Amino acid sequence: MRQFVIAAGVIAGVVATNAASLQGQTLSQRIARSDGVVQVIYPSKSSVCGDGKGMIGHLFGQSMYFSGDNTIQGRSNWSSRFCEPGPARAVVSVASGEITRIRAYVGPRTPDERAVTTIDASAAEASAWLSEVVARNESRVASDAMLPLLLADAPEPWSLFLRVARDSSRSRGVRHAALDWLGRGVSARLGIADAGDDTPDDEMRSQAVFALSQRPRGESVPDLIELARSAKHPSARRAAIFWLGQTGDSRAADVFADLLGLR
Amino acid sequence: MRHALLFAVPFALGSAGALTAQSIADRVNTVRDGTVRMSFPSRPGVCGDGMGSVWTRNARDESWRACVAGPIRVVIGRDNGTTVSVRTRVGGEWSASGSETDLGRVSPEDAARYFLRLARELSGRNSNDAMSAAVFADAGDISPELARLVRDRDAGVETRKQALFWFGQLDAPTKELVRLYDTLDARSLREHFTFVVSQRHDNEAIDKLIDLARTDRDTEVRKQAMFWLGQTKDPRAIKFFHDVLVP
Repeated sequence: MRQFVIAAGVIAGVVATNAASLQGQTLSQRIARSDGVVQVIYPSKSSVCGDGKGMIGHLFGQSMYFSGDNTIQGRSNWSSRFCEPGPARAVVSVASGEITRIRAYVGPRTPDERAVTTIDASAAEASAWLSEVVARNESRVASDAMLPLLLADAPEPWSLFLRVARDSSRSRGVRHAALDWLGRGVSARLGIADAGDDTPDDEMRSQAVFALSQRPRGESVPDLIELARSAKHPSARRAAIFWLGQTGDSRAADVFADLLGLR
Repeated sequence: MRHALLFAVPFALGSAGALTAQSIADRVNTVRDGTVRMSFPSRPGVCGDGMGSVWTRNARDESWRACVAGPIRVVIGRDNGTTVSVRTRVGGEWSASGSETDLGRVSPEDAARYFLRLARELSGRNSNDAMSAAVFADAGDISPELARLVRDRDAGVETRKQALFWFGQLDAPTKELVRLYDTLDARSLREHFTFVVSQRHDNEAIDKLIDLARTDRDTEVRKQAMFWLGQTKDPRAIKFFHDVLVP
């Protein structure tokens, strides 16, 4: 009986995966057929907000991202900013059926004359499509797809990011981007995403972690791993996780997997 | 630079020197408007391409390109009786020009003294070029004059930073460089000091950087000290970082 239940569960899982994949493919095909600029609009995580123009807040703690020509990250007092919850919008540039760029937005839709096609999608559809882009695309578009994927009101894509980070056949840039996001996810899971340098001592600890991270990788990575696992001070631990993600070292993926409760 | 340069000529501080330096100033000051140019020998190891690039020869890079040593050529711009610009070149030749007042070849000691004074009076690139002219001159040990400028609270901070940089590059003992720290009132000077002292790569420098990282009154200076400590790769620096992270 137990075997039957497990088998049924597996079958159900396969059916669900295939259904998601089919839906993702459908969305993927619709996007590929729409040469030019396509915006895919889908529900975002409830915590996330944005101004619709590129500022994205509260993805991890109080974090703030700007998704424009470059994606930057910082922290800010969002109470003083215009930040509207959802929806998420992935603006996709398509040329000859190939995605050449994806940019993520959250919040009010802004009139975009370049957007020739608007596709409303469910979070599951968007998540499936973006997961497929992250998993299969060989260009920087795979990295582009990570932020809009994280924004979707769908299960966290950490397992996918871990696979990408560990896949030596993927480009260094994509693996690096996956590790970077994993690090942020780890800090959020540990509840230290907002652990800032609130005191001079915090600042000095973060600077010490940075200084240690600048040594040759053979020396810095073991230190960063130890600090990421067990530093007592949240700001130091957060800094260690961040700089560990920046190393691009495959050992970082294992540490992040542990800290995320995955393997 | 500091190991490559040979300071064979003592930098005399006598009144005669002051008079001859004054004579350069006098000769420059006779030109109300226009340009004045002069040249003088460069220190051994100072190389240039005559167009603005200057580098110093040392054991590591002496093979990768030829060193065209000196002379130092300086053009001073004058406007309404005031010096408004200084441009320093190492090597090369003057272009033919009938409009410049050419002082010819001047004493490097006099030139160093004159241009240090000018560096104090000017600002920005003009001050930098004046100080470079003084430092590149084959004028012996000018570190006492540079130290005086570093301590001079009436001089511009940027000029003092330049003087501090060049003091660090010259051959004065690290303990003398370390001693200058107590005279650095402005935070930007102390931040700059962390870089300058880090270039010494000796025990006294590491000790001072650790001390700064622990005790400077400004967190930014402490962080800068920590950054430059990290660049040294010294085991004591690594130990210090671990100590900071211990609860």
